[in-house]
Parts: sequence; structure tokens; C-alpha cells
Amino acid sequence: MSALALIFVVAGLGLIGWLTARARAASFELGGAKRLHSLPGQHGWYVAIWTVLPALLFIAVWSGMTPRLVQDAVLQHPAAAQLPAFDFERDALLAEAKRVARDRSATAFDPVAEQLVAPTRAAISYYGWIGAGVSVLLAFACGALAFTRIKARFKARTRVERGVMSLLLLASLIAILTTLGIFLSLLWESLRFFGQVPITDFLLGTHWSPQVIDANDPGKSLGAVPLFWGTFFIGAVIAMIVAIPFGLMSAIYLTQYAAPGVRRWMKPILEILAGVPTVVYGYFAALTVAPAVRDLAVMLGMPFASSESALAAGLVMGVMIIPFVSSIADDSIAAVPTAMRDGSLAMGATRSETIRKVLIPAALPGVVAGILLAVSRAIGETMIVVMAASGAANITLNPLESATTVTKQIVDLLTGDAEFDSPKTLAAFALGLTLFVITLILNIVALRVVKKYREAYE
Amino acid sequence: MNSPLPAQADRTPTDWNAPAMQKRIARRYAAERRFKLFGLAAVVLSAAFLAFLLATMVSQGWRGFVRTDVALTIDFKAAALPVDRAVLRTPGADLALAGAELENTVKGAAATQFGVGGEDAISEYAWLKVREAIKQDPTNLDRAVRIPVPASTRLDQALRGDGTAEAQALAERLKAAGLVSTGFNADFLRMSDSTDPVAVGIWGALKGSLLTMAITFLIAFPVGVLSAIYLEEYAPRNRWTDLIEVSINNLAAVPSIIFGLLGLAVFLGTWEVMGVRFGPILPRSAALVGGVTLALMIMPVIVIASRNAIKAVPPSIRDAALGIGASPVQVVFHHVLPLAMPGILTGTIIGMARALGETAPLLLIGMRAFIVQPPGGFTDPATVLPVQIFLWSDEVSRGFVEKTSAAILVLLAFLLAMNSLAIYLRNRFETRW
Amino acid sequence: MTEQTPKMSARDVSVFYGDKQAVKNVSIDIDMDKVTAFIGPSGCGKSTFLRSFNRMNDTVAGARVEGLVTLDGEDIYAPSMDVVQLRARVGMVFQKPNPFPKSIFENVAYGPRIHGLAASRSELEGIVESALRRAGLWDEVKDRLSDSGTALSGGQQQRLCIARAIAVDPEVILMDEPASALDPIATAKIEELIGELRGRYAIVIVTHNMQQAARVSQRTAFFHLGTLVEYGETDAMFTAPRMERTKDYITGRYG
Repeated sequence: MSALALIFVVAGLGLIGWLTARARAASFELGGAKRLHSLPGQHGWYVAIWTVLPALLFIAVWSGMTPRLVQDAVLQHPAAAQLPAFDFERDALLAEAKRVARDRSATAFDPVAEQLVAPTRAAISYYGWIGAGVSVLLAFACGALAFTRIKARFKARTRVERGVMSLLLLASLIAILTTLGIFLSLLWESLRFFGQVPITDFLLGTHWSPQVIDANDPGKSLGAVPLFWGTFFIGAVIAMIVAIPFGLMSAIYLTQYAAPGVRRWMKPILEILAGVPTVVYGYFAALTVAPAVRDLAVMLGMPFASSESALAAGLVMGVMIIPFVSSIADDSIAAVPTAMRDGSLAMGATRSETIRKVLIPAALPGVVAGILLAVSRAIGETMIVVMAASGAANITLNPLESATTVTKQIVDLLTGDAEFDSPKTLAAFALGLTLFVITLILNIVALRVVKKYREAYE
Repeated sequence: MNSPLPAQADRTPTDWNAPAMQKRIARRYAAERRFKLFGLAAVVLSAAFLAFLLATMVSQGWRGFVRTDVALTIDFKAAALPVDRAVLRTPGADLALAGAELENTVKGAAATQFGVGGEDAISEYAWLKVREAIKQDPTNLDRAVRIPVPASTRLDQALRGDGTAEAQALAERLKAAGLVSTGFNADFLRMSDSTDPVAVGIWGALKGSLLTMAITFLIAFPVGVLSAIYLEEYAPRNRWTDLIEVSINNLAAVPSIIFGLLGLAVFLGTWEVMGVRFGPILPRSAALVGGVTLALMIMPVIVIASRNAIKAVPPSIRDAALGIGASPVQVVFHHVLPLAMPGILTGTIIGMARALGETAPLLLIGMRAFIVQPPGGFTDPATVLPVQIFLWSDEVSRGFVEKTSAAILVLLAFLLAMNSLAIYLRNRFETRW
Repeated sequence: MTEQTPKMSARDVSVFYGDKQAVKNVSIDIDMDKVTAFIGPSGCGKSTFLRSFNRMNDTVAGARVEGLVTLDGEDIYAPSMDVVQLRARVGMVFQKPNPFPKSIFENVAYGPRIHGLAASRSELEGIVESALRRAGLWDEVKDRLSDSGTALSGGQQQRLCIARAIAVDPEVILMDEPASALDPIATAKIEELIGELRGRYAIVIVTHNMQQAARVSQRTAFFHLGTLVEYGETDAMFTAPRMERTKDYITGRYG
């Protein structure tokens, strides 16, 4: 029986539990005018939850265990002896047998897989029926037990609501678990990496070439400084040179000068820039912007200019960040008390003078915080650099040359066919940890600044 | 500064009409105009960039929806394919026709009909179209039939005047013979990945996206909304709550690729605990692992949006319900949640749109497989639309450029629809208190 | 104070908001067939004290109640007391009308629904009608029960809130300045309504308007700076206050 069908059956049992418990509770009567503590429906929910929840938990655990059990059973079959020892091929054959076992209209191509179909089918149905039997039994037993507990004075509502509360608490703990999961898994893999490569080599080394790693001294070719520089150069310099003036000026124009109608239309249009998927920007950068930048470089007398220049990726990334900077600048400027602006205007300052000399300085902390957040987003951006930046790790100040970034290298390191424990793949986690820590610091600093700034005007 | 203020009389009154002052004012107005112009330029250039990007995609992508067909005449009677007619009505038809070398027959027909290089004029999957035609009407095998089959990329390029000299000549010849026709390429929406750019479609990737989004929604929405309820309505102010809040705010700003690393290490990693090998918890490359990873990524977005929506429900509603004896759980589920729902849904849709456009984390958890068959379920290997775009963008063959752009148009259409829905919900149901 | 057993009584009740003590050692008895008014200058703790009668202070973060409050002799702060049932027995009407953004019918029907007071739809409709009748609103809304409760005028909204409280069939109704957000005509209607409800329910009304207290109540308690200064028959209090502070307040020396 498939897990889905089983879930339906258990849900059906839950419904029966709900109905019977409700009917029973409705027949209760307390002497006199005293009201029941809980409504019949709440008694129903109490029984239904007890019927469904343990069974569902069992189904979840069981369906996680079944594939392994089935595989073990199939490997016991004599035909399994013919399976190749190599993991990948063996798994492919087993998967094929499983596919055919599930789908009766399919046929197996490999003779060994063909022989394994019948045992696989038998094992699947064997464990399937065990799972179905146990879960139905569990649902029935727990539901019946709960049913015996409902009485006229039973506080079903309190119980059910306590259950709801624990569910809510559980849900909110997932955020902590995720944060912890990210930090621990990155840390764990990074520690394994630093067991093989000295941390100083990684953080201070200036040579990055993971394609050729000297097995005796892997640290020699895993120096991440060029990546850090490339990330900084593309994300924090080139992209910001585009995003800051454009974002700031469009925010100023839209809040201070534009007619309300213009603002109402232009603001969402600019926000579309933030909604375009990064893979689209990456494609655009690689297809249109990068060749244009290369042609420009050739015109400037660089005949062998790279078509994967830092400039192309940085430019497009900057455009992507514009709405981000602009919306934060917008908020910061709006938070400056009108009295300040009026004061300046009343002295005969022009609007631009008021903006430049009063509004911007007053809004500066907010704007700076926004720029920090924008930088954190730019250095974490992946697809644009994966598609438009180069894999060559250079430390360069020339935007027309190629540079690579942390995110690009993470993708490159992990999408090849490398084994999981090599320094090469582990290096990706060390890079990830670095990225995580840096963006975290940027965010914390930015949020502090914003908070301080808000307090100043409240 | 204790020096006495200079007496007003010491200062000559400002002469606002003096030429120097007039010039200064003019200069200030010029600066004002320049500044305003800069602002306008920033807005216009940003919008122009967007327009340019979209125009580029449309100008290249529309060709992805158009297919050129060549009418190919095949004399099956002469070819006498060794196929049992009875099999053609059964599921074994595909295998039988493939075994009867139908592909070579079709290529041979093209070579004889179009002359030298004729087999290069039709797409590699032309024979599949012929197979469909035979399956639909098995009597086709007893006569000569004319079937429009997709042209190859080579011929297609040549027909646009952008091919090699011999392809160009062939194109002229076919056009003159009236064998070429173009029409809407429904296969692009029906088929999956292929090595032949003419034969590719987005359905496999789109289905992968839909399956992934389903998982993402089923996890992120309940978890996000429930944690928002807890934090906003019930959580006591203590260090734990602060920790949860800090976690959520930081998760919202963590680069997406980090979630890919998380998925790779936690869901796809293997551990050894006391000699027993565990994991991977979830199947690699599948919609399930992609959906879970993206759910963790957008959950903070949903939590933050939901909290704001819940916060906007006035406390007097809660008082009113409490005052007649609703329990705290009833207050939230009967009153607060329904009133906050439009805001919550808006935030959820925006988060889902973000997940739908996301690529980087999915690359790391193996959702970049070459998917010829649409995934059948949540645990089958799958890819998603943005990853498909990424994969096609890497292809060398020129025919992939327009397909990539066409796929981008489809993706943008979905995102546009979702965002419009969010805006509509916000405007339609948002209540001001 | 009286021979009959009080419906509710408070003994040495103090309410704290964090470190701040808002109500200091107040003891008072509320009788069944009387309207009791709490008066006093704003910030004197009268509303806070009122909210300790149905444990609405529980919903305020950092609030803490000390002392004993009983309903029919039962300690309402006892762990065995179910706060939900308590609030069904002790209803509340708030300062600002706060109907749910639902239909008029749903507003009144909500309480009976969650407490399971009606076995059938027709019984529920009966409860809603009689609550609206008793709140004096039936004739005005009987043809538009499916309109939103928020579409009514302020005074109608407040009477809807009273109907909503009555529909749960409470024993005590607490009213926290129920007319302060209303115009004089709507206020008069509410006061008239309070007079009609007297006898059926024990009513406690907080007001900053002394004329209102004099018009609607039989008992008056005067609060100042968190303490109960004087408590007695309304007529006596307004004609011959025993305490100097009461006299100063009533005569408008401060407020």
C-alpha cells in the first residue's frame, strides 16, 4: 500500500474517531445548569489527534526505513550475487529493478535487473503491508485509548489547545534549527577541511587552482585571497559604483521631485528589477553585456580581453541591486522629520540644497546601513557570477580583466564529479563558512545602525 | 565666543538685485535643475535597462515558440518496414518501430528527397514525429505519406539567411519547392530536455518546478505561519524568543547558496554513527530535497510577512473575543488569522515567487540532471525551470540561444502572474484599521 | 455592607504592571441586582481594577494580580478556575465599540457558538434575536443581520457589543467607560439600556462622568491614585460624601 493511500486511511480513521467522540460527548449531561467544560467538537478533536498523530509519525519513520529494508531483502536474493561490486552501477540496477517493480507496464533492459524485479516487488509489498498493518493498528489503539478518556468533566479543550501550542512552539523552533544546521554543517565540513589544509594557507594564500591539487601539500593551491578580492571587487566595488548612485538618485527623484502619478508607476517598475530571477541576469550578462564589454576593451587596445570580465558581472549585479538601495534610501529619507526639511526650505535653500545638505546627512546612517545590506546581498549573489564571471582567480584592479568570486567557486567545486571527502569539495564548505560569517557580520552591523538611527528620530 | 555681536548697522543690507547675487541665484537654480536631471536620468536609465533586458529576451525568445517544418514524403510501401501491424495498437509500438529502423528509413527518405546533405535538413527527432503519425494511423505503413517534420537547426538558421553556403542553397531549394512551413511550436511546452535544440521543451523542467514548489509551499507555509503566530501572539519575552527572532532575521539575509550547502550536507550527506552508515535522508536531485531546501530559504520571508500582518490586526478585536470567553487559541484561529490572511498570502506568494526563480542552491543538491522524461513524482530526479535555463545557456549549439530566451519568457510570465496576484490580493483585501 | 451574599467580591486586591502598582489593596463587594459605578480621575486604577474581575489583566504582559477575587465565593484566580468559562460568566463591554468585522448576526452568534449554547440553528437564531432585543437593537437591525457589524453607527456598535456580551448569558457584565466614545444621544440610549438590564445581571460600570454614575448606578466606588477612597450608596455619596477627597472630586475641584 502506498504511503499516500495509507495516510488517507489513517485520516479516515481520524474522521471516524472525531465523529464518534463528538457524538458521545454530545450525550453527556451535567446536573443542573452547569455547562460542559468542552464542546463535543473539542472532544472529537482530542480523539482525532490521538488517532492520527502517532500513526502519521510511524508512517514517516517507516517510509524512511523501507528503502533500506527492501534493498537488504533484495540483496539476500541469489540473483543479487551477479550484481557488479561497483556502487554506482549496482545502485542503477537496483533502481531499475525497483522502477519496474512499481510500474507494471515498464520492462527491464538489464537481465540482472530483470531477475531482481520479482524479489523487489515481493519485498516492497511485504514491508508495505507490515507498515500498513502497524499504522492502522496504532491509529486504532491510540484512538480507542483516547476515546475511553473522554468524560463529561474531561477537559478536552485544554488538552487540544495544549497540543496546538506545542505545535506552534515546534514550528518556531525550526528557524533556530535551520540556523544551527547551517552553522554546524558548515563548521563541521570546514573543520575537516582545515584538518587537511592549514587555515593560514586557505585564508592568506594567494594562489587558487583547485583543478590541480598537490596531494602532499593541498594548501599550496587552495589560497582563497584571490577569491576574496574578486568577490569584493565585483560585489562591493563595481556593483556598488552602479547601484549606489542609481539607487540613491532614483529614490531621491521619486520621493522628492516626481509627481505622485509618476511615482506610483515608476516605483513598482523599478522593483521589478529586484524580482527578475538571477539566472536571467546571468544569462543577460553572459550573452549581451560581456561581449559588449569585451568589444569595448578591444577598442581600448586590449586585443586579448576576456569575455568574462569582472566589469560585465559587476555591472549587471549593480543593476540588480538598484531597487534594493533605492527602497532603503527611500525609507531612510522618509524617516527624516519634515520639520528639518521645512526648516531648510524656509531659509531659501533650493530643494537640491536641502536634499544634499540636510536630508542626506540626516538620513546617512540609514543609507549606510542599506548599502551594507546591499553589499551583503551582492557578495552572496551566485548566478550572475557563475554565468558571466571567469573561473580564473586573479588579483587585479582592472575591471576589464577576469576575476572570480567565492560563490562561483563554491558552485564550480561542488558540481564536478569529485568525491565528497576530497580537499577540493571540502574547500567549498570552508568558502561557504567564510561567506556566511561575513554576510552575518554585515547584517548585524547594518541592523544595529538602522536601529540606532530609528531611535534617534523616535 | 564672548565677543559682542556686531551691531546690525555695521552690515550693509543685502542687495538681492545686485548682479553678483542674481548670478549666484541663477547658478543655484542651474545646480537645482542639474540635480533633478540626474535623478530623472537614474530612474529612466534603470527603467531603460529593464526594458532592454526584456526586449532582448522577447526578440530572441519568440523564435523558441516557432518551429519550422519541412514536408517529408516517405514511401513506406517501398520501405516495407518489418513491423507487425497488430503491435501498433499496443504499448509495444514504440519499441517495435524503433527496432524496425524507422529512424534510418526517415533519414534515408530525407536524403533521397532533398539531395545531398538532405538528412541534415531534418531534426534528429523528426522520426519521432513520423512514429506518432504511424501510431495514429497504421495504414500509413502501406502507402507513401507526406508528413511535416521539424527542420534541423542548420536548416532553420539557413532559412533565416544565416547558414553555411550549402545549407543556404538547400534552404533556397526547399523554399522554392514549397515544402517549408512555420507554426507555433507546441512541442516546446510539451517536451523535455534533449541534446537537439529543435527537440527541447520545458515541460520536464516546469513539472519539476511545480513539484518542487508544492513541497516548498506545504512546508514553508504552515511552518512560517505557525511560527509567526507563536512569536506574535503567545511567545513570552525571554532569551529563547529573542534567539528565535534573531535567527529568523538573519536567515532572511543569508545568501541562497548557503542553503544549497546546508541541503547538500544535511539532506544528502552521509554520517557514520557508531559504525552504522546513515543517510542520505532524502533522494538526490529530486523535487523533494529541492523543495525542502527552498522551504527553509523562504520560511523567514513568510514569517516576517505574517508577523506584520498579524501585528496589524487591532488589539480591540482580541479583547472583544477574550471578553466573551474565547480561549487564546480560538481568538487567533477565529479572528486574528482570518483577518491577517490577505497579508500572509501576499507574503507567501512573494516568497514562493522568489523560490520559483531560485537557481544556485538547487545546483548544489544535484537538480541539474539531464531530464528527458518529466519527473513522475517527488522522489524522481528532476530539474527546475531556472536550472534548465542555466543548463541551456551553457550549450554551445546556437539553436539553444532562442530556447533559453523562450524558457526565460515562460519563467518571467509565471513570476509576473504570481506578483500580480500578490498585488491584487493586497489591494483587494487589505483593511486599514 | 449588605445582608445578602455578594455576587463578586474583592479582598485586598493589588494589581502591578511590572514594578508599578496600579491598584492598592482594594476590597469591594458587587451585588447581584445593583449597578455599581467606579468613578475617579483618569489613571486612578478603576479600569485596571475592573479588568481583574474577569482576568483580562492576564492578557497584559507583565501584569500581576494579588489578593482574592471571588465569583459566587469561588476564587477566580485559583488554578482550577477555567478562565474561558469565567469570562463567559463575567462578560465585558469595552471603552471603544469593538465589533468583529463580521456580520451583525455572526457578532452575536460567536459567543454562543464557542460555548456550545445552541443545539440547533433555530435555537441560535433565537438567542441572537433575544440578545439583540434586550440590547434594544433588534428593531434597527432585524432586516440587515447579514450586514457587517462595523457598518453600524458608533452607538449601535456599542449596543451590538452589549448584545454580544448578553448572548453568552453572563451573570455579571463589566462595562469599561461604555459611552465615552459616543455622542450624547447614543449615550442616553446606553444609559437607558443599563437601567433595563439591571436586575438580570450584576453590572459594574467604570465612568469618568459623575452625572452618568449618578444616573445609572445604585452604588458608587470612588478611586484615587490606585486606592478605594469611598464606597457606598450612590445617592448618599453624591449628597453627603464622607471623605474630603470624594467631596473635592465630586464638586469638581480636580479631575
